[in-house]
Amino acid sequence: MGREVSESCIDSLLTEMVSTYCNRFYANKPELAARRIEAIGYQVGHQLSERYTMERPRFSDHLEAIKFICKDFWSELFKKQIDNLKTNHRGTFVLQDNHFRWLTRMSIDQSPENGASEEPSIMADNKAVQSMHLYFPCGIIRGALSNLGIPCAVSADISNLPACSFVVRIKA
Amino acid sequence: MIVCVAVVGHQNNPLYIQSFTDADDALKLHHIVHCSLDVVDERVNNPKKSGPPLNETFLGLLYPTENYKVYGYLTNTKVKFILVTTNLDVRDADVRNFFRRFHAAYVDAVSNPFHVPGKKITSRTFAERVSTIVKSFGLSSAG
Repeated sequence: MGREVSESCIDSLLTEMVSTYCNRFYANKPELAARRIEAIGYQVGHQLSERYTMERPRFSDHLEAIKFICKDFWSELFKKQIDNLKTNHRGTFVLQDNHFRWLTRMSIDQSPENGASEEPSIMADNKAVQSMHLYFPCGIIRGALSNLGIPCAVSADISNLPACSFVVRIKA
Repeated sequence: MIVCVAVVGHQNNPLYIQSFTDADDALKLHHIVHCSLDVVDERVNNPKKSGPPLNETFLGLLYPTENYKVYGYLTNTKVKFILVTTNLDVRDADVRNFFRRFHAAYVDAVSNPFHVPGKKITSRTFAERVSTIVKSFGLSSAG
């Protein structure tokens, strides 16, 4: 019954969204742009979790909900599951995706042979732009979990592209 | 015959209440829905061994009043659906089917980007879909 769009439309939309918020709407305020993008992700995650938990029995604890995010939710969004889930059993979970779909089109910086010639500020800029693209999926995860009754904070870690880790800290 | 359906959010705030009778007892129906929320909470927090398993969405018959039966359904996102009916011989399968279609209509209504989570559902499409589901309730059963 549902209508579908091609995946390249989603890719283009997300790229353009990050670019618009960072360069036009909040040109000199990257923190505000990041918060707005994350808020959009929050609402999307909220609504998607409503839809994808429809036929399922209720979750008995936090771990079940996180496993749902890693398996079913991620498969619906990205056609694959989270590759690695780590926890410290005290409310922090690390979800690692070894080939994050929305980052596959992003170029990875080739560092020069002698690393001293690369300006550290340029490398920092590149990292900042790359991390802007991750606020939306962080928001999606946060929205989905808070709709399941688990308030949390989600941050992303891209120390080795194209693998990407999402750190979920559940608020006590 | 279904008399009233209600959608209640996770903070027990009403999201949608619709009664389907001509009589002017909307207030009494709202009161019944309100009382059934306590039963839902009790069912979820104190599972009886003879009741449904802890993590099922369909909660079954909540409590019968003098001429109504009240059924409950709790989603994963802690949203409660309440169904009040005057049928005395309604089948379990019919009610489950009803809640399944009602859940689908609710998910579509909430996916509306103009809907604010926590506020009442004002979509006319949702209201029409609900009245269609209500009208076809129990009609598929023979006799």
